[in-house]
Amino acid sequence: MVWNIIKKQGLLFLRNPQELLLLLALPMILITILSTALGGLINGGSSPISINVAFIEHGDEQREVEKFLRDIEEQLPPQAVEEVRANIEQMLPITIIKESIFGNEEISEFIEVDYLNVSKREDVLNNDEYTTLIEVPENFTYDTLTNLVFDSGKVPSLILMQNEGQQVGTGVINNLLTQFQEQLTLGEFLGKNQIDMDNLQLTSDVKGEIVTINEQEPVSSKAYYTLGMVLMNVLFLAGAIGSYAFHEKQIHVFDRIMIANVSRWSYFIGVLLSGTIFAFIQCLIIFGFSRVVFGVTWPDLTAFFLITLAFSLSVGGIAVLLVAISYRINTETITNFFTSIIVTLFAVLGGSFAPIGDYSKVIQFLGNLTPNGASMTAYLTILRGEELLKIGNEILYLIGFAAAAVVIAVLCFPKRRLSQ
Amino acid sequence: MIELVNLTKEYKNVKAVKNLSMFIERGEIVGLLGPNGAGKSTAISMLSSLVEPTSGDVRFENSSIIKNPSKFRKIVGIVPQEIALYEDLTAEENLHFFGRIYHLRGAKLKQKVEEVLEQIGLSDRRKDVVKKFSGGMKRRLNIGVAMLHDPEMIIMDEPTVGIDPQSRNYILETVKRLNEERNMTVLYTSHYMEEVEFLCDRIYIMDKGDLIASGTKEEIKKILSSENTIAIKADRFNKEFLDALQNHPSVNRITIGEREVLIIVPRAVNMFSEVIKIAEEYGIELVSVDNKAPTLEDVFLHLTGRALRD
Ligand SMILES: Nc1ncnc2c1ncn2[C@@H]1O[C@H](COP(=O)(O)OP(=O)(O)OP(=O)(O)O)[C@@H](O)[C@H]1O
Ligand SMILES: [Mg+2]
Repeated sequence: MVWNIIKKQGLLFLRNPQELLLLLALPMILITILSTALGGLINGGSSPISINVAFIEHGDEQREVEKFLRDIEEQLPPQAVEEVRANIEQMLPITIIKESIFGNEEISEFIEVDYLNVSKREDVLNNDEYTTLIEVPENFTYDTLTNLVFDSGKVPSLILMQNEGQQVGTGVINNLLTQFQEQLTLGEFLGKNQIDMDNLQLTSDVKGEIVTINEQEPVSSKAYYTLGMVLMNVLFLAGAIGSYAFHEKQIHVFDRIMIANVSRWSYFIGVLLSGTIFAFIQCLIIFGFSRVVFGVTWPDLTAFFLITLAFSLSVGGIAVLLVAISYRINTETITNFFTSIIVTLFAVLGGSFAPIGDYSKVIQFLGNLTPNGASMTAYLTILRGEELLKIGNEILYLIGFAAAAVVIAVLCFPKRRLSQ
Repeated sequence: MIELVNLTKEYKNVKAVKNLSMFIERGEIVGLLGPNGAGKSTAISMLSSLVEPTSGDVRFENSSIIKNPSKFRKIVGIVPQEIALYEDLTAEENLHFFGRIYHLRGAKLKQKVEEVLEQIGLSDRRKDVVKKFSGGMKRRLNIGVAMLHDPEMIIMDEPTVGIDPQSRNYILETVKRLNEERNMTVLYTSHYMEEVEFLCDRIYIMDKGDLIASGTKEEIKKILSSENTIAIKADRFNKEFLDALQNHPSVNRITIGEREVLIIVPRAVNMFSEVIKIAEEYGIELVSVDNKAPTLEDVFLHLTGRALRD
């Protein structure tokens, strides 16, 4: 019986291309537009987000370079030493980060870097306004140069302390440093500077590590807006299911189902599962699109499916709640209110358009109360390479949200006859 | 088979059904007649246990349908006044869906869908979405859905409103056939007298929530035994003529059409010569003046002073 109701809902969706267009094509278009817009922002242009970076050096690059040059005289032929010495200015990692990356005109428009003394470290850690703290450990430059020239295997690391509340910002910083890291390790950098790699015995497969503390992966704008649009548009599905169901009441199909001695709870469960299943399918289709077109992939598929399922369940809960209320008050007002106002509100709070939670603890808290916001947090957590355990709270919250919606729906759903 | 006992439904502003008592025997076709707002649909909703009566009861096989609807629901098919179908699904898909709702499955379901499509004459349109159907085809499918589970009784709420004469005849013939071939019990609601006259053995007439007459066709027509209906036909009437008729002391009621005027007069009065005299006086060229056999329409007119349809 329940399956029959779900199947019918599927057929109805298939027969309504307009509805499908809204539920599937629209988010795809939005993802494309928004992520290109933010892509443009990373390449320059005016930026709605500003990123504050604190930069602390534990060592002294100049002293380390001098030590390095002294040391290689004993190990390399004079000709090679000369070559290194001549190009050393372009090989200094910290200088490059400071000048080429953060000093870049376009980048400095939205990233502000404070170069601070070691003594300020505690202050930075306690200050929520910083997106990232970059720490350069002692001997970083020395080790980098040694590794470059001798392939010493001793891979130096920058230490990044990231503010978990500012997901896009940390993503941007990670992206920039990763690019730099790749240039540094893949030899491009040396090649560009015409250093004879054979002379330097440089091997190009040296793998360095920049990150750090949490080993967090950067979140690309495409991934971010895929999430934003999926989570917002799947909410519309709850509204669509609500409308269909209320229409069934209006055209007396629901009466027919009741007259056939079908329990109203079978119908109720049919709506709940329709909402859940079609939300799940909708998520997968749009994520699939984003995977194929933008290459947005998921590091942990189990966690990915778990979040998607929990979110879909909460959408099913909303759908059945809308149906129960509209059946009770016998108008579709509630569903219209949901699709026109609540979805937008949830989407904004939940960070579908911009990571607004990064700028205010209150908004972040409110955002995490919305099912889409909680899901967003969970998805971003696994995108940044965290493990399954870290999203336990969000998953539990989503299931709890669904359960609460179902309970309220049960209480609202007209129990006996449809006599008004 | 089924009996309505003092069934009453009050809404906030209206008493939709007042103290309605009626019964239907197995194998009968019973007509329920009444103008818009008479309370027919409300009565049917209570009968099918979709709406709870304010008071009164519906009895089926010695138990109350109101308290325990499921036994009756199994043997009854309800054709609602509205087209209760999925417009975006095909005829076949609709039948499949509602068949599953009635717990039909597999080969049995397939066979029933086939059979019903045949019965309602839509076999060749089975793959078309209902949206594309004509009004008559939708009505037929609306009936078909109620027949999937082989009901012993079928309740039809104005199954022929707004459709072409052919579909209408088709439906009437189908109902008659179901009754004759399968001994199906039928409650047929309409405001078309001729349909009810054609189909029904017994008739109930409602108006404004009240039952105003009931009985066999003959019994009901006898209500008119003391009166005659005279139909006056002409190409054109004028106001003076109509006023004169209206004010005539023997004319009880008058219904004015473009080319036909109906008057109800006491049987004892010879009205023919009167009509001809008045016509001459006001320059009306009469086509015919006939004594009309009473119809249920006349009965309704007699009982309420209003035509059944506006
Ligand atoms: N849900 C309702 N709430 C309030 N009033 C109602 C409701 N349903 C019906 N009514 C009123 O009850 C009266 C009877 O309505 P009903 O639909 O039973 O008439 P009907 O005989 O079926 O008329 P029609 O030929 O137009 O279908 C009408 O005055 C109608 O306005
Ligand atoms: Mg009606």
